Amino acid sequence: MQFVSEKQPSEVRAVRLAVGELTCVQHEQLRFCYQSLVGQTEIKGSALEIETVPAEVSCSHCQYEGAPRYWDEALAVELVPTLQCPQCGKAAEAVRGHECAIRSIQYVS
Amino acid sequence: MIPTIEASPAEIYDIELEHSLLEANAELARKNQQLLDRHGITSIDIMGAIGSGKTTLISKLAKKLSNRLGLAVLNGDATTADDVSIIADAGAQVIQLATVNGCHLDANLVGKALKRLDLEKVNLILIENIGNLICPAEFPLGSRSRIVVVSVTEGPYMVKKHPHMFLGADIVVINKLDLAEAMGVKVENLASDVHKLKPDIRVIPTSCKTGAGIDDVIAAVAPQNPRLHA
Repeated sequence: MQFVSEKQPSEVRAVRLAVGELTCVQHEQLRFCYQSLVGQTEIKGSALEIETVPAEVSCSHCQYEGAPRYWDEALAVELVPTLQCPQCGKAAEAVRGHECAIRSIQYVS
Repeated sequence: MIPTIEASPAEIYDIELEHSLLEANAELARKNQQLLDRHGITSIDIMGAIGSGKTTLISKLAKKLSNRLGLAVLNGDATTADDVSIIADAGAQVIQLATVNGCHLDANLVGKALKRLDLEKVNLILIENIGNLICPAEFPLGSRSRIVVVSVTEGPYMVKKHPHMFLGADIVVINKLDLAEAMGVKVENLASDVHKLKPDIRVIPTSCKTGAGIDDVIAAVAPQNPRLHA
């Protein structure tokens, strides 16, 4: 809304979000909330595009950097990312995957 | 036919923003942490499901700690007048944070509560979060560490079902040890699930009823503060 009042675009086409794999944000529910909220506003009709940011971990024990180990048998419907290093099994730190940000807005001037 | 004016590609713009939606809370959390650091205060965010024993654990800690150090408790979870009087009688400063129907505490509420405390008299702040194993994970409050309280009465799959909560925690308290056998829940299985998610996390089994493990929690929440072990 701050963007709309500053730029005064004739139309906002899309709002693009980056949502990390390690957040608790459920994409379908977020889309539903977005459409419910913007229906009465100047950005009515705009699409919400959500890009998933994959988790990445870094291990101080073996210097591994990359995708986390997944606990695949934990839940029936989805993989659970963990902070266990896939290479050495010790504690790793999440360096990516906690994002929840508006990445860009597509608009018509 | 309704005329439609399509913008030519030259008129369609993409503006890069990188505007974090959780940044407002994160910024306030950093301010809370700086304020607490300036006063040399350790603060602990205590999270867990409804009925896991957060309030009882805090009451036990308050009884043992408040004659040794300045203790303050911020109660976010609905706390009965009985609970509050137990904690206040033990000598702790207590502030209730009324979230009404809110599902988590945020750094703004905690910041307001900190303004009402006499920080010169406080060494340790225990913040009781709302009974919920999902939302509080996304909202740091500015605390030094985060404890998740899970109890055996919640069943054997609490860790698997709420991985994000445990990924963000520093200490896990497995409470109601005295009921494990009756519930048919193995504490070591819960602990092993926690370690699958986060190998270096400290797991402390407790029973607030028998007092088992309470001293271990005390040692873990502020090991660097010698006054706690006087």
